[in-house]
Amino acid sequence: MSGSLLTVKSDSLLTVKMEHRVGTVALNVSFALTQPWTVLFGPSGSGKTTVLRTIAGFVRPDAGRVVYGTDVLVDRETGVFVPAHERPVRSAGQAARLFPHMSVRTNVLFGSGWYSKPDEELELADQVLELFHLGGFAKRMPRDLSGGERQRVSIARTVVSAVTFGGPNTALLLLDEPFSGLDVALRDELLAELRDWLRRWKTPVLSVTHDVGEAFQLGAEVIKIADGRVVQQGPAGEVLAMERRRLMEQLQAGGMSLEA
Amino acid sequence: MDFEALWLTLRLAGCTTAILLVAGLPLSWWIASGHGARRALVQAVVALPLVLPPTVLGYYLLVAMGPLTAPGRFLMRLFGHPLAFSFSGLLVGSVLYSLPFAVQPLVAGFGAVDRGYVEAAEGLGSSPWRTFWRVVLPMSRASLLTSLVLAFTHTVGEFGVVLMLGGNIPGATRTLSISLYDLVQDGNYGAANRTALVLLGFAMVALLAIYLLPSLRKMDGRQADVVR
Repeated sequence: MSGSLLTVKSDSLLTVKMEHRVGTVALNVSFALTQPWTVLFGPSGSGKTTVLRTIAGFVRPDAGRVVYGTDVLVDRETGVFVPAHERPVRSAGQAARLFPHMSVRTNVLFGSGWYSKPDEELELADQVLELFHLGGFAKRMPRDLSGGERQRVSIARTVVSAVTFGGPNTALLLLDEPFSGLDVALRDELLAELRDWLRRWKTPVLSVTHDVGEAFQLGAEVIKIADGRVVQQGPAGEVLAMERRRLMEQLQAGGMSLEA
Repeated sequence: MDFEALWLTLRLAGCTTAILLVAGLPLSWWIASGHGARRALVQAVVALPLVLPPTVLGYYLLVAMGPLTAPGRFLMRLFGHPLAFSFSGLLVGSVLYSLPFAVQPLVAGFGAVDRGYVEAAEGLGSSPWRTFWRVVLPMSRASLLTSLVLAFTHTVGEFGVVLMLGGNIPGATRTLSISLYDLVQDGNYGAANRTALVLLGFAMVALLAIYLLPSLRKMDGRQADVVR
C-alpha cells in the first residue's frame, strides 16, 4: 500500500520529490519507482505530464530533487539541473513529432546509441518496427502515415534510443499516453509485447495514462495522482479497484440500455 | 558593358553571402530560440540597415576604418593599407548592409519550427548542436534558400554604401551599380541600358527562384505538421 513507499527506498530505481505550480494546479508529489513498469494514473489536469516532463528535463520544478540510480538529475537546493539530452532518460511526448524530412527508419534510428555498429542498429530498428506492427513501413515518410501509425513510430523511436543507451546504466523510458489513440485490441497486444520485450532489455518504464484498462493490461505498479498529489501507490488491482468497479457498472448499464 | 565591374560585383556578392551564411546561422538561431531585452536589442541593430540611409552606414564605416580612430589605425596596420577604398572594406560594408536580408528569413524559418520537434530530439539524447543540424536546419530549408538568395541579390544591388566607402576604383570597388551611374553621367545610354537590364534580369531570376520552389517549402515544419 501507499505506506510501504518509504521502506523500499533503498532499492528504488528513481526517486522524485517535487513541488511545482502550473496554472491552477499546485503539484506536490513524492514517490519512488521499484518495479520494471510503473504507471502514473490520474484524471487530465492532475499534473501527470508535468511530473514526466520534470524527469525528462523539460520542466524545472520550483523545488525538489530527482535521482535516478546514483545520478542526481535535479536538486534545487544544490542547484543541480542536468540538461535533458544528457540525462539517462529517453522520452516520448503525447504528440508524435516525427521529423518530417526523415524516413520511418531514419526517425527510429535518430536517437540510437549504436552508430558504431550499423548492422546491429539496422537489425534492431527492423525488429522494433516489427514489434509495433510496422514491418513494411521502414522506407515510408511520416506524411504518408496515419495518426496512429505515427504514434507507434514515435514510441518505437524512443524505445530504440532507450535500449541502445551507451551509458553505464540502462536508460529510463518515459512514455506519455503512449497508445491513447489506438483501438483497444491493438493497444492490448502492443502493450503486452512491449512489456515482455523491454523486460528482456532490462529497461524500466514510467508511463502516463488516464485509461484504467491500460493500467490493468500491464499488470503494472500504479501511482495514482489527484489534484497534484500522490494519493496511492501499489499494484493495479489494489489501487484501481474502485475505478474498475465503476467501469464495470458503466459497461453493464450500457449493455442493458442496448438490450432495451 | 563593364565586364570587370560584373566580375567584381559577383565576387563581392559571393564572398558576402558566404560570410553571412557562417555568421547568420548561429545569430539567427540565438535570436529565434528565446525572448528578452538583449535579443530585442540585437534584432534592432541587425534590422538597422533596412531603414537607415545607406550613406549613413557608409559614412560611419568610412570614419571607423580611417586613420582618425583607434580601430581604423589597427586595421591599417593589420592590412598594410586603409580598408576604405579597397575590396576588403567593401566586403565589411556589404556584410553589414545585407545582414538583415540574411538573418530575418532565417529567424522566421527557425521560429516556425515547432519547439516540440526540438524537445523530441532532446528526449532522444540529441545534443543542441546535433539537433540544430539534423532537425531544425533541414526543417527550415526554404528559409535558408531565401536567406542566401536575398543576401546575394541585395549585395549585387547595393549602391550608397559602395559609393561612400569604396569610391569608384576599377577592379577594386567599381561594382555594376556604380558603373551604371557612371555610364549615365557620361551620357552613354546604350551601355547604361545593357547594364540596367542585366541587374534587372538578375534580380528577377533570383526572386523567381525563391517563389518557384514550393516543393522545398513543403518540407518546412509548419507545413508537414498539418495533420497532427
